[in-house]
Amino acid sequence: MTDPTTGFLERIGSLELLTQLASQASCDQPLALLWINIDRFKQVNESLGHLGGDIVIVQIAMRLREKTAGRAEWCRMGGDEFVCFVPDSDLDHSRQLAFDLLRAIEAPLPFGDLLLRPSASIGIAILETNEDPFSCLERADRAMITAKRDGGGRVVVSGDESVPGRLGVFLAREELEIENMLHIALESGGLNLHYQPIVGFDGRIEAVEALMRCTAGGSNISPAKFIPVAEKTGLIIRLGEWSLLAGARLAHSLDAGGHPTKVAINVSRAQLASPKFSQALHAALLCANVKPELIELELTESLFMDVSETVQKNLHAAIDAGVRLAIDDFGTGYSCLANLKDIPSTKLKLDRAFVVVLPHDRRAFSVVKAMTLLGKELGMTVVAEGVEEQEQLDSLREAGVDAIQGYFHARPMPEEALLQWLQNRRAT
Amino acid sequence: MTTLAATPSVEAMLESSLLDIGIPPRPEILDRIRIEMQKDEPDFNHLSHIISSDVSLSASLIKTANSPYFGNRSRVRSVREALMVLGLDVASRAIAGIILRKIFTGSPHLERFWDASARIARLSGWLAQRVAQNRLRPDDAYTFGLFRDCGIPILLARFPGYDGVLAKANREANLGFTAIEDSHLPTNHAMVGCLLAQNWWLPEEICLAIRHHHDVSVIESLSINPPLSSRYQIAVGQFAEYLLQQHSGLSQTQEWPKLGSACLRLLEISEAEVENIQAEAVAVIEAED
Repeated sequence: MTDPTTGFLERIGSLELLTQLASQASCDQPLALLWINIDRFKQVNESLGHLGGDIVIVQIAMRLREKTAGRAEWCRMGGDEFVCFVPDSDLDHSRQLAFDLLRAIEAPLPFGDLLLRPSASIGIAILETNEDPFSCLERADRAMITAKRDGGGRVVVSGDESVPGRLGVFLAREELEIENMLHIALESGGLNLHYQPIVGFDGRIEAVEALMRCTAGGSNISPAKFIPVAEKTGLIIRLGEWSLLAGARLAHSLDAGGHPTKVAINVSRAQLASPKFSQALHAALLCANVKPELIELELTESLFMDVSETVQKNLHAAIDAGVRLAIDDFGTGYSCLANLKDIPSTKLKLDRAFVVVLPHDRRAFSVVKAMTLLGKELGMTVVAEGVEEQEQLDSLREAGVDAIQGYFHARPMPEEALLQWLQNRRAT
Repeated sequence: MTTLAATPSVEAMLESSLLDIGIPPRPEILDRIRIEMQKDEPDFNHLSHIISSDVSLSASLIKTANSPYFGNRSRVRSVREALMVLGLDVASRAIAGIILRKIFTGSPHLERFWDASARIARLSGWLAQRVAQNRLRPDDAYTFGLFRDCGIPILLARFPGYDGVLAKANREANLGFTAIEDSHLPTNHAMVGCLLAQNWWLPEEICLAIRHHHDVSVIESLSINPPLSSRYQIAVGQFAEYLLQQHSGLSQTQEWPKLGSACLRLLEISEAEVENIQAEAVAVIEAED
């Protein structure tokens, strides 16, 4: 019972073969199932006709057979769907095989005058001990569907599929764990702010930047990991509001202690695009009972890729509330001088990328100098981030920068350590 | 071991007039519980010692643990037992509620406000068992009821004309309650309450329920956010408030006409059932008064 087009087994025959192979599989000789679906095959059929589609399928089937060369059994489950049974193949082996198959499929395929560039989505499942072989086949199918949903042209192993998180957003397994940890952190005191001072060349403390830290289940999650997940799930709004209040509370207590110091708090794109931003900002200012001018909202430049009406409204509401705005990470990514013109910010923070190459990269130095001049011309305080070395500091002073932030002065530290640091500094 | 003397009692904390300086700061005891919760083996003895050093907090915690809304069948006699029976998670919420009450009842003109919240909380706890079984935990419904309007006293303390805004929002038959606040103030009590709850480490579902409790569009929303449990809390809270108003014959708000039918649909309660529940609720309300 083979498929006349490809010579592969047909569906019914393949299911019998699967049962037989499954009974021969063991822990030492696992059976791997690969479910392969050709991406956008419907379009191939539509543009080349079914006959054309068949020709493409035959070509791809030949490539697949060549790659496995008698080590695997092939079945055609339907129009553009193939399943490959690979005896004695563990996860590493089958993953490698899947990538090889994907590459083979993706080689350009001549069709008359056209050069087609096929691609495929592949799902892998390894038959587990005592697992029903058909449920294993279903797992491979589900993994393939995930690969397809993630854009095709990829391999997904069963168990690694993205699944809906608590907020209904599809997440990969690691992201899902991080999402859960963020929820735990939000509810169990696992959020914390660390602070890094920004110091002026005149020795003044220009501000302290609040940086979020997250602990859940006894382990720290790096911001590089949790911020992207928080952005994807929308949790960033809750985290952002949390840090707004926590940072504002610190600003209040420093002020109440007779040492007013600005606290810079990062605001995400999602927060700024939210119609409730202004209410949340005011609620935080009120709850902390802080003078608004002691709060500085740091806005990453990428926020301004597309400035919607809501974002504009929110920026003005922030100004009306009396808080300051700072443009963060300036000079890389989405730099647009129009932003400087349109956004009523009082501080420009130059991206660390310019600092790490100082003082040797003279072109970088010239760019820093020009940006500083521009910032100052617009009445902004110019800050350089990521300063670690004396030489960098000297170079930045020469460029006319007002203040610096980085390990040279202090690493980000918990509140108690910051208070001690500030006290020591005042003492000297 | 931490010295007990280092733990300020709730009374000591109240000495500074908290509402005048923004929201009440998160009670330190909540942080201590969180620290223990993050350990593999929380030290119940240590926590019991800390809580027991505050006599009135201990007494209230034992009373709360024995209340029907915290689902406890066996009678609790000590702080340690209360912690064991409730679990640190729930105990932390119970303590948050107890401290909130102390803060609010510390001020004479807030006492009535607090009584109303406490009544709604208790009836919500009962309703959760009566109409939302397996969908809403009674202790969550109870805690939500206590914190739902905690933004109001904070705004009253900060904005001199806020009582007028409240009266107007209560009379408003069409626009949402918070829309009226937003048109007079830069923020509203739902947002302030949500931030306080979040700052006190209350569960996400409760924080979101507080944030949206006047928002008719979220009750039957098809979106996953806010989660269903938050919406059940909102619906049960509104229903409890309606039953209390029916019982007292005083209806000072327009919330039930605006939100009621959506709440009943979410809770799958027919008009006919409302009457039965109302009749049963009378005994609960009168028993508690």
